[in-house]
Amino acid sequence: MAIKKGRFTIENLENVQINIGSIVSSGEAETPEGPTPAPEIHDLRDWDMKLLDRYEPVYSPVCDMCCYCTYGKCDLTGNKEGACGIDMEAHQAREAMLKGLTGTAAHSAHGRHLLNNLIKRFGADYPIDVGPSNLKAPLTQTIMGIKPETIGDFIPVLDYIEEQITQLLATAHTGQEGSSRDFESKALHAGMLDHLGMEVSDIIQISCLGMPKSQEDAPLVDIGMGSIDSSKPVLLCIGHNVAAVTYIMDYVEEHDLFDKIELAGLCCTAHDMTRYNKNAKIVGPMSKQLKYIRSGIPDVIVVDEQCVRADVLREASKLHIPVIATNDKIMYGLPNRSKDEVDAIIQDLVSGDQPGALLFDYAKVGKLAPELALKMAPIRKEMGITALPDDEEFKKLTSSCSQCGACVIGCPQGLDIDKAMEAAAGGDLTLFEELHDRCIGCGRCDFECPKGIPILNVIEKASQRVIREEKGKVRIGRGQVGDPEIREEGVNLVLGTTPGVIAIVGCPNYPDGSRDIYEIAEEMLKRSYIVVTSGCCAMDIGMHKDDEGKTLYERYAGRFLKGNLLNTGSCVSNAHISATTIKVASIFARREINGNWEEIADYVLNRIGAVGLAWGAYSQKALTIGTGCNRLGIPVVLGPHGPKYRRAYLGKPYNRDKWNVMDARDGSVQNIEPVPEHLLISAETKAEVLPMLAKLCFRPSDNNLGRMIKLTHYIELSEKYLGQLPDDWYIYVRSEADLPLAKREELLKKLEAEQGWKIDWNKKKVLEGPVRKVDVSFQPTNVPRLCKEASK
Amino acid sequence: MAAIELDTTKNAVPFDRANIPGPKMAKAIKADLAGKLISKARRPLLIVGTAGADDGVILVVKRMAEKGIPVAATGNSIKRLKEEGIDATYVNLHALVSYLKDPGWKGFDGKGGYDTTIFLGHTYYYASQLMSTLKNFTKIKIISIDRHYHPNAQQSFGNLKPDDFLKTLDMVVAEL
Ligand code: SF4
Ligand code: SF4
Ligand code: SF4
Repeated sequence: MAIKKGRFTIENLENVQINIGSIVSSGEAETPEGPTPAPEIHDLRDWDMKLLDRYEPVYSPVCDMCCYCTYGKCDLTGNKEGACGIDMEAHQAREAMLKGLTGTAAHSAHGRHLLNNLIKRFGADYPIDVGPSNLKAPLTQTIMGIKPETIGDFIPVLDYIEEQITQLLATAHTGQEGSSRDFESKALHAGMLDHLGMEVSDIIQISCLGMPKSQEDAPLVDIGMGSIDSSKPVLLCIGHNVAAVTYIMDYVEEHDLFDKIELAGLCCTAHDMTRYNKNAKIVGPMSKQLKYIRSGIPDVIVVDEQCVRADVLREASKLHIPVIATNDKIMYGLPNRSKDEVDAIIQDLVSGDQPGALLFDYAKVGKLAPELALKMAPIRKEMGITALPDDEEFKKLTSSCSQCGACVIGCPQGLDIDKAMEAAAGGDLTLFEELHDRCIGCGRCDFECPKGIPILNVIEKASQRVIREEKGKVRIGRGQVGDPEIREEGVNLVLGTTPGVIAIVGCPNYPDGSRDIYEIAEEMLKRSYIVVTSGCCAMDIGMHKDDEGKTLYERYAGRFLKGNLLNTGSCVSNAHISATTIKVASIFARREINGNWEEIADYVLNRIGAVGLAWGAYSQKALTIGTGCNRLGIPVVLGPHGPKYRRAYLGKPYNRDKWNVMDARDGSVQNIEPVPEHLLISAETKAEVLPMLAKLCFRPSDNNLGRMIKLTHYIELSEKYLGQLPDDWYIYVRSEADLPLAKREELLKKLEAEQGWKIDWNKKKVLEGPVRKVDVSFQPTNVPRLCKEASK
Repeated sequence: MAAIELDTTKNAVPFDRANIPGPKMAKAIKADLAGKLISKARRPLLIVGTAGADDGVILVVKRMAEKGIPVAATGNSIKRLKEEGIDATYVNLHALVSYLKDPGWKGFDGKGGYDTTIFLGHTYYYASQLMSTLKNFTKIKIISIDRHYHPNAQQSFGNLKPDDFLKTLDMVVAEL
């Protein structure tokens, strides 16, 4: 009998307890073990260099100086070197790596916190259950080479991530790495680790907390400021880590309080709350945080970690909203009340003696938060607390605006606040109502106004009519894509008959409001792309409706199938999106995945038409999620705020020698069309990004039918949104069979007249012109060892 | 004449208040000087963002194109530019700066790279970051004739009121 992990007591030896931890090997080692189990920084460097050679890093410094050590500040403008010898390029690469590492640390520290908590509650032997999947933890298997069976099997996975983070972070110290390319390889390593950390986090919570397990028809829940019943006491939870919040939901359920309390979530905690108990409601994404606090509606706020504004306690205190902090990452200087009685804490908070409390005892949080909300609501009502100005005050405020424009210059979105003030002073609120959705709720404007106008409050007051209508539906996070779905859809995806998977993920830092993200999703869904979403933008997609009042989640089913819309869940559920491509490689193509990152990434890059869109990316986590996708061969597009991450990975279609791949059948080298064209790029507007998404779904392995479908969408989207046939459409044509059926003759004529291709008009066939011909058994690869000749 | 009195060098602070890149920031210039600098360029490229297709501004793009300045249409400006009969090439701005950075790039006409870029009609923060790429990694001149002060350009106007902006653009074109 194998000794299992856990605790046991030896009879007759009282008070002696032996813990069996890492003596037993963790997880089941799958055979054969791949070439890079638990890779060190340098183990996947060759793969990274291949990517970086084709997709060259392009830097756009936010700051031209390095302020990192006391030799400096150093002026690096024009790629000069600093006093330590680092040049601008390497410094920018280091910055990108550091930002990415911050994101990786946030997700994996979240995972560690959750795992410690869940092991305490359920035991390390608690089995992993993610739904109908044999391949339960694709990223863990591909990276670590082990197949976890219990939540305790993730302990060495987190150990590995934490060790790697330390190694990577050390390289950022002055006097270490000097090569921008190696910093990039390290950034890619951090990105990969991030996906691993996210996978651990979501799998353990799915397994232990009864969250949907690959559930395509997961229930719909309400979302939006307008959907929250403010006549009840409102308990608001903000953040990403649902550990403490589950205790609140249990208490509310057990004490039949769901009728008496409105339990609402903001940011990713909200997704996970609804995955745990669908009676919870979602206020909305990050951009609603300050707005909703300022509305004065919440009676108690509970915060955990990540994407919680640094000013929550300050803002909440002004409105007598007590704040309960529950996690080491955010303590706001509050006293630790973990050892105190719940009633005593409630007393101090109700009386206003303390603005909030820090509590690590989650059983106490579970009782305290709802009981406190019930007590605070009548008190706050009696105090007449309203944050927003009344009608008279609103008039005064808008008329006091001197049209100086300071707020516009201070606003990261450059919104025309001055014009809206002028119109509102004249009684016209429409400009503010339009501005409301484009405003990311950051509150910068307040600090700029020389007249002291609380501008964000004015925007919110002016927009009450539209806020009341902010009611939508979100399908709760379904978790992984199950193995049966992969078996059914894999062939379409690899052959290209499903034109692509568009993963719309990330934060709400949109250039032009949330409607764009809804419209992008709708356009791609109508075209039979699979749209996968998560995090804040999954919420915003559910905020908009069609003429019949239906959201996209009500109109499109949630299976991993063409034309379906899948919400995987919170930010950590992003791991399931990247994992889906690994599942296709493993289940559909029977690739060996254990400890075999390079081969799988090579497969994804060359065969799976998946593209990520982080249209409103703001956080470091969003950068690292994108970078992890990149290392796995998935291109990512960012919105126009994206270049502030300082680095992109861009391909140059005109550099023909960069577009060579091998044919695994014989190791021969083929020059291919530039697909996918970029790994990380940004776009300015919705109209620009739509054709780009279609184009980035091209893969060298597309068969004729698949390429024809993909090219049809690329051309149609370009014509619809950019008003022209794309300039580069012909580059992707390998034979007449690649051409959209309805336009075949017309396009053949263009190929002849404009590109000088030779056409046999009797057979309507391309005779000469394309970069290469299609060969259905072509096996594109960038990894020499996968070629038959090489393995002989 | 009011137009001549228009001082485009005033209010030369980054439009995003904290967008201060470092020791080297754009020189605020008068409209006629911008026109002269553009007309002196050997291989200029006018880079037009989505707002370059706005009423008023698009007429200026048209006149510059008629003067023989090649036009790169970024964002989704190409749609309206084409409707107006302006000869322009669509390109993504992020991709374009990476091409400009490459000494091997032959330009849109195959005749070689460009020595001067002229920015007009962009989402402010987006263009600012991509000018930063050109500023730090190329020797290409960056002239912003946009409405707001761009610290990462070499020459830029200060922040202009909409009406003054259109008048300024007229003055730029008059010098070509
Ligand atoms: S709160 Fe809104 S209006 Fe104010 S600075 Fe931020 S985005 Fe601009
Ligand atoms: S951009 Fe910088 S200053 Fe502004 S909120 Fe974020 S971290 Fe703070
Ligand atoms: S900063 Fe204040 S006074 Fe100036 S335009 Fe904005 S709201 Fe008006």
